Amino acid sequence: MDGLTSEAPLPVDAPERARRKTVLSAHGIRRAFALGERSLEILHGIDLELSEGELVALVGASGAGKSTLLHVLGLLDRPDEGRIEIHGADPWKSSVAERARLRNHEMGFVFQFYHLLPELTAVENTVLPAMIDRGAWSYRKQRKALLQRAVETLTHFGLGDRLTHKPPQLSGGERQRVAIARALFMDPKILLADEPTGNLDSATGETVLELLFQEQERRGLAMILVTHDSRLAARCQRVLTMEDGVIQADSAHPVPD
Amino acid sequence: MYRSFISWRYLFARRTNLIGIVGILVAVFALILILSIMTGFLDESRNALRGSLADVVIDPYQGSEAGTNVPRSAHAVLETVRADERVVGATPEILWAGMITQKKKRLDHVLSSQSGGAGLLIQVVGIDVAGPWQLAWPALRVSVAAAGGHLPPLRVQDAFGATDFLEALNGQAAGPPLAPVANPITPFARPASYRPDGRPAPAVVVGDQLFSRYGMQVGDELQLMTMVQDPGTGEWNPNNRYFVVAGSFRSGVNESDMGRIYLDRRELGDFLGDFREYTQILLKLRDYEGEAVALVDDLRVELAESGLIYGIDGGFGEVLTWEQFKVNMLGAIENERVLMAIMLSLVLVVAGFTIFAILSMMVSEKRRDIGILLALGATPRGILDLFLLIAFWDALLGAILGGILGTWAAFRIDPIERSLSDAFGIQIFDRSVYLFDHIPSIVQPLSVAAIVLGAFFCALLFAAMPAWRAARLDPLEALRYE
Repeated sequence: MDGLTSEAPLPVDAPERARRKTVLSAHGIRRAFALGERSLEILHGIDLELSEGELVALVGASGAGKSTLLHVLGLLDRPDEGRIEIHGADPWKSSVAERARLRNHEMGFVFQFYHLLPELTAVENTVLPAMIDRGAWSYRKQRKALLQRAVETLTHFGLGDRLTHKPPQLSGGERQRVAIARALFMDPKILLADEPTGNLDSATGETVLELLFQEQERRGLAMILVTHDSRLAARCQRVLTMEDGVIQADSAHPVPD
Repeated sequence: MYRSFISWRYLFARRTNLIGIVGILVAVFALILILSIMTGFLDESRNALRGSLADVVIDPYQGSEAGTNVPRSAHAVLETVRADERVVGATPEILWAGMITQKKKRLDHVLSSQSGGAGLLIQVVGIDVAGPWQLAWPALRVSVAAAGGHLPPLRVQDAFGATDFLEALNGQAAGPPLAPVANPITPFARPASYRPDGRPAPAVVVGDQLFSRYGMQVGDELQLMTMVQDPGTGEWNPNNRYFVVAGSFRSGVNESDMGRIYLDRRELGDFLGDFREYTQILLKLRDYEGEAVALVDDLRVELAESGLIYGIDGGFGEVLTWEQFKVNMLGAIENERVLMAIMLSLVLVVAGFTIFAILSMMVSEKRRDIGILLALGATPRGILDLFLLIAFWDALLGAILGGILGTWAAFRIDPIERSLSDAFGIQIFDRSVYLFDHIPSIVQPLSVAAIVLGAFFCALLFAAMPAWRAARLDPLEALRYE
């Protein structure tokens, strides 16, 4: 594991970042949850910009609000205050269907607990986003090509012999690789990963991470990786440290002491 | 696309769906089967209620004390009704009350016998059947036509043309009678085996159940007793005469088979001392459903105006369809049918609740999947559709399979009952209790369609709530569900 740090990509400097297009930004995000009678604020005004092809680690102790922020960024949760922009537009000002389309086309999710549909095979889980996107007619027309692409991706991910297995028949690492294949199937610009190795042993976790980093680089994805593993964070270009609902440190904007 | 794909996958992957399908299937199956059998039973009761009533009965009322001038002969009435083209058959008959005993058996036994009680007071019915020359008429017409002349076709004027008596004689109505007459066309011919002691008695045909209850044989002599009024003094006097049993008939109608004896109208008239030539006229109509009510109204006025029946308003003479005769009982039967349909519809509600329960369970069980689908870009509307689709498949499969099975069982209820009875060694349907030797079952296509569609939409209606709940699920909460 020690050798890993040396492989860490160089941090992207500010001018380089400025040249790249911002794909996702958050401004003054606040989010509180009702806890009995009082309300508990988890996010206290978060500002964040994510550029094309940027690999960002979001670290912090549990309860710091990492997952909540990720859900807000992923349009699964609506902020109480503040604004999200995807490609410069506020998705919360458009329709439910438009937000669903954004989640489907622009974003990929990788969860700690894989979140595959247990009744579907690996291939079916992988093409699920395309099924959601397309009507019955257009899906049927492209079915062969889509399945072919899913098979190729899974084979590329080392699951060539597990294509028709269902999640309960797959190991944790295999499941997570299927989940990654699913998240990447619609060629999104943004990948949100919530502790993708949190449920895996270190060796398996490492192969999954390798896969994630490879794909991120190959596809030029803007990726946020939530983790509480600082060594893992060190392998990312940019590290955001969260503490009690605020971003305490941003490696891209070091606070001069 | 995912809606149909995932709903279809859930349908087979989750065994609970099977319960939903089976729930609807059983409800639809039971409803169709029970309604068909009850419709059959009610139809049989309706037939039993009709008894041996003809389509329309004209009862002129000839009571002398009323001082009416209604003619004794049926001729004028028959002329009038036969002139109406809506009437295809009209025949006079004498319907009289009588008592029966057998020559071999003592009268006091019959009078005190409990077993003979039902048949003790019987109806003696005198009817017209075609005579030899009437039977020969068609052949005669051909001969005349060959010789260059023309004979008009003979209009059917006997009981065979206006009632179902011929069917009851030759076993077409409800199976073969115990002792069929030698020739149904001439039922009142004396049996060949008959050896009279003295003057040969006229022949009668006896209802099947009466025949077996009295242990009759073809060729037996019976004594009939009746009462007739003395035209001079107005007193009622008993009257009796011997008759020979020519055979039995089976109409399938309890009232007739248990309590009727048929004989030639002239013989009965003679037996009654020419007290009556006829008591009523039976009509058979071209189109009972369509024309009976109008015809009855027309005939009432026409016959009353020409003095052929006695009185219209509050009078005794009447022209009635058989349904008008039994209007209250028929109403009760119809009520029963409607009430039962309403009560049985509750079964559909139960099936609906099954779907409700199963879908609610599935929504709870599949919270995480719902969250995943939402995260992958499904809309709440899509989730609503997905769960409605699951209910749709449940309802469709259940309703269609139930419809097919129920209809099949309703058609095959007799063999099914027999094999079940054999398998369990008990008699499920005791045929001796009823007058019919099969389980009556009438499948009404409209009822089947209504039940199938009703179950289908009921299930969808009950599915709406859980499906709506699924659509409103917060994706975060659903995803946290682990």
